[in-house]
Amino acid sequence: MEPACRKDRQKQKETPNRGDNGKAKQKSAQQELKQRQRAEIYALNKVMTELEQQQFEAFCKQMQSQGE
Amino acid sequence: MTGSNSNSTCTAAAKVNKHARSKSTNNCSSPSSDSTGAESAPSGSANNASRSSGEEEKDGGVLFYVNKSGFPIDSQTWERMWTHVAKIHPEGKEMADRIRIAAYLPKPPVLSVPNFRPSMSVLDWLLVIQNYMKMLQYNHTGTQFFEIRKTRPLSGLMETAREMIRESLPIKCLEAVILGIYLTNGLTSVERFPISFKTQFSGNYFHHVVLGVYCNGRYGSLGMSRRPDLMDKPLAFRTLSELIFEFEDSYRKYLHTVKKVKIGLYVPHDPHVFQPIEWKYLVLTSSRVAHEEMRKEMEKHARDMRMKILKSSTAQSPIKERRGKSLSPRRRQASPQRRQVHKRDKSPATIDRKPAELSTLNDVGYQIRI
Repeated sequence: MEPACRKDRQKQKETPNRGDNGKAKQKSAQQELKQRQRAEIYALNKVMTELEQQQFEAFCKQMQSQGE
Repeated sequence: MTGSNSNSTCTAAAKVNKHARSKSTNNCSSPSSDSTGAESAPSGSANNASRSSGEEEKDGGVLFYVNKSGFPIDSQTWERMWTHVAKIHPEGKEMADRIRIAAYLPKPPVLSVPNFRPSMSVLDWLLVIQNYMKMLQYNHTGTQFFEIRKTRPLSGLMETAREMIRESLPIKCLEAVILGIYLTNGLTSVERFPISFKTQFSGNYFHHVVLGVYCNGRYGSLGMSRRPDLMDKPLAFRTLSELIFEFEDSYRKYLHTVKKVKIGLYVPHDPHVFQPIEWKYLVLTSSRVAHEEMRKEMEKHARDMRMKILKSSTAQSPIKERRGKSLSPRRRQASPQRRQVHKRDKSPATIDRKPAELSTLNDVGYQIRI
């Protein structure tokens, strides 16, 4: 067999693995990003929920004082 | 949000509109639009940020966005979310940055989907489902994470429900309805139907939706809301009207006036059904005088639903899963007339008055959103 063919065959064997590794890395990176986003979302939701609660309570107090 | 053009506030009798063709998607206070929080962009792009596409919607006058980019959320949607909250929160960008640059954030546990056990009663199961939704939390971020198009076939919406479970993120009311349907599909003794509310507070209109449930002669609901008494109700109401009036009472506590109630039809238990959900088969425009008439209409609707004599105007025979064979769809049934009762309004023309609720705004114009 010609050396060039052997090299080509070797490359063909290697490329799928590299492709698989690349995809696996990409998938892993995406998973990490999703996890980070999820953590940020819940941290943000906590802050915004508290804000809403504070505003609602302030509003209720104002209504009460207006009523009095 | 523009106010309604209807003069229903001054009519003498309840206006019952049964011809309502659903266009609104309503998601915890949003104006009428074709999709909850976002109208489909003509270009069909995954996440069109153009304002003209209707990507943003209003929740009682406050903007909210919809994530159409899937997961992980793309950078455009992500940045938009943070820009939005920075505008709303008093600490602005500082608050946002504190979270975004934090090296460590608590990792919220991914909730396991509830599993029905044969030993569980219907009440237990509904409680489990509601608790699951509460654990997901109500979404206060201003960006809805799951796109819900109300006109989609049920099968597509069930796929979105699976995504909600997979991604395990905060949800709003319309997402909760879809999720509730998905999680109760296995309970054939429990009928589910959507209940939508249009309410008014301080000059703005708000939309909200919950999932009505009926089992063994009792009505209740599942749902999510900012307000704990505007979501789940126990399966204890003997009539549909009792359930609806309970919601009206709850709304009053938050100074909201119910303007319209829209009740849909039972949702099929088969998650592969192609027909869309019927969101508003019966539309009731409320007024003080016609409370009794509203009650009668609701009871008639409830009776008709129980007797299973109602068909959605978009109902098609369910298309069985095609496995390599082409099946010609059955001829579509003629759309039955939705129930519509027109009452000639003989009351004199009334002058639109400013709603009294305007006086209930505080200095910063806080809106009690639902």
